[in-house]
Amino acid sequence: MSEAMTLEGVGKRFGDFVAVESLTLRVPAGQIVGFLGPNGAGKTTTLRMVMSILLPDTGHISVLGRPAASEVKDRIGYLPEERGLYRKMTVEKTLRYFGQLKGLAGPDLSRRIAAGLERIGLANWAGTKIEGLSKGMQQKVQFLATVLHEPELVVLDEPFSGLDPINTEALKELMFDLRRRGTTVLFSTHQMESAERLCDRIVLINRGRLLLEGVLSEIRAQFASRIVTLEGEGDFEPLRTLPGIVSAEISGGQAQLELGDSLAPDAVLRRAMEQVRITHFEVHRPSLHQIFVKLVGADHDAGARGGAVAIAPAEGAA
Amino acid sequence: MRKVLIVALREYVETVKTRAFLFGVILMPAVIIGIMILSLRISEVTRSEAMPPRPVLVLDRHGAVLPHLERAFEEFNAANPNQPLVLVRPGSQEESFDAALTRMRDGEVEAVLEVSTDAVGGEGGVRLARRGAQLDLWRTLSRMAQEAIVRVRFEQENPPLDREYVLRLERGAPFELVDVATGATGGDEATRALTPFIFVFVLYMGMMGISYGLLTSVIEEKNSRIVEVLLSAVSPLQLMAGKIIGMVLVGATMLTVWVVVGYCGAQMRGMTYLVEARTLVLAVLYFIPGFLLMSSLLAGVGAACNTLKEAQSMSSPLSLINIVPIMLSFQISQYPNSALSVALSYVPPITPFVMILRICGDQRLPFWELVLTQLLLWASVLAAMWAASKVFRIGILMYGKPPSLIELARWVRYT
Repeated sequence: MSEAMTLEGVGKRFGDFVAVESLTLRVPAGQIVGFLGPNGAGKTTTLRMVMSILLPDTGHISVLGRPAASEVKDRIGYLPEERGLYRKMTVEKTLRYFGQLKGLAGPDLSRRIAAGLERIGLANWAGTKIEGLSKGMQQKVQFLATVLHEPELVVLDEPFSGLDPINTEALKELMFDLRRRGTTVLFSTHQMESAERLCDRIVLINRGRLLLEGVLSEIRAQFASRIVTLEGEGDFEPLRTLPGIVSAEISGGQAQLELGDSLAPDAVLRRAMEQVRITHFEVHRPSLHQIFVKLVGADHDAGARGGAVAIAPAEGAA
Repeated sequence: MRKVLIVALREYVETVKTRAFLFGVILMPAVIIGIMILSLRISEVTRSEAMPPRPVLVLDRHGAVLPHLERAFEEFNAANPNQPLVLVRPGSQEESFDAALTRMRDGEVEAVLEVSTDAVGGEGGVRLARRGAQLDLWRTLSRMAQEAIVRVRFEQENPPLDREYVLRLERGAPFELVDVATGATGGDEATRALTPFIFVFVLYMGMMGISYGLLTSVIEEKNSRIVEVLLSAVSPLQLMAGKIIGMVLVGATMLTVWVVVGYCGAQMRGMTYLVEARTLVLAVLYFIPGFLLMSSLLAGVGAACNTLKEAQSMSSPLSLINIVPIMLSFQISQYPNSALSVALSYVPPITPFVMILRICGDQRLPFWELVLTQLLLWASVLAAMWAASKVFRIGILMYGKPPSLIELARWVRYT
């Protein structure tokens, strides 16, 4: 099975409000997929539909080859955005309870709890009540409860919210662990830096619709801006007249050039090296953050004008 | 089903461990029993306590009653040597009742007893002034005055009448009450009449206990946002079923403890005739669906609300309707086949209470009534569970303003 999950034309309304509109996407097995979008984009609603907590009004969902997650609950781990634990239960009992609900039992369960607590550095806290833990520790326990049964698919809704940088790093490591084991991870987030470091693929939605989906590196290439910066000793002025240059800012030993579609950055470099001793050359790579802001901003403008989005670039894998 | 049991088990264990449960099940009955025993002990102590003599001013306008009263006082003091009464005569034969009251107000005497001139022969009576609500003193003095007057009447009969002879004629025939179900005789009738009430009150406490427990637990899961995590492992129906079963088990535990304690207590005092085994079996048969019905309704209410306060105000109609059989328990158990009793038997939330009261009042209710009420009860349990699971499914993930009853009805219809 190559897909851990597919959505086809999935839609959900709450009264007059369209939360998700005809969403189609695939999540290949064994990858970490970031599910991005601004607040209110429909991320949580989509994930809840994936988990069969909400039922879609239209479309089909397939999870681990079955038509609904409710049929394969024991093979999925889900960390909702709204999360909590029983305050009066101990860490160990909490994990045991959730493990049992996921079909684990006996010595196997005990072994997994012990190993899991060891892994997240809470081995000494097994007998402590949840209310005695810090918020970060509680989140780690919750994450452990989500993956204790070694699910094939892990769905995390805003897993980094409320975590300090240290715990954020720890959580990323745990997510890499999952991928090494072959687990598919789908997580939603606002933190572009986290998504950038973790994801194999991203899915970007806004106003309930898909804006962009694909392999992160390909998306980056697609949105690579047409700006290069050159530094060196010599005269940059002749570059100004190069065919295909849209604009140029030249000052002292530095030039920033905006290139037209016909002009490749390496051609500019080759040409520059004929005249100048280059000490620095940079093609500006857009960060995921910039792509996000650009796409979502444009989509909101389109929405404000009443027009449709026409931004999503064609993506081979979609 | 396995998951339902896991949820039920957690619900049970975590509830039984709470302080509220310990308080409700063990501490409260213990405190009640403790207080009862203590008050008995205290009244014994009070009765044996030595008290200063209490002066009682006697105004005998008739004249012949006083000697008999004097003898009664002597007999009383012989029987209660540590709490003697002292008979005080008036300063003058003409001392008025009002003047006597003034002496009493000044603290000279404890009580004033006035026997009117025609207390013996005519319609006149006795006046007794006493301080506050000293029931015992009032009873003693009135008994003494009545007896003294009767004695004077017998003395005045001509030819004289033998009092013992009259009493013998008037003595009551020994009277034996037999229970149709147990064949048991004897026992205190007041206790017997009170039993259905105690029985139903215990069940009411149990029902309120689990109602509160269920509301708290649903709201806790909702507020602490545990519910969505749970829903990724179990379906809303499984979750609800688990919680209800867990709570019904809690209720069963609570009642078992009370029934065992109550039964042992009754046995110790030789009062096992009060509750028949058949009644206990029927109580179980009525209260399992009773608990299930109440829990389902409250699970729905709890899921629709965000705070315990909201949930309590939304469930107050349920709590109120449950008080009805408690308030009417005397009428229902005394007249188990009256139109009111029969009609109330078919109001599902209170059916268990009403039926138990009726069964206590009449051990042999028509069999078809038992069957019909059971059917009705179980049908309403299924209907309530069905509706509650719909509300539960929507409400459990809904935050903000709680829905109105009309909105709740819409949830049930459209999901």
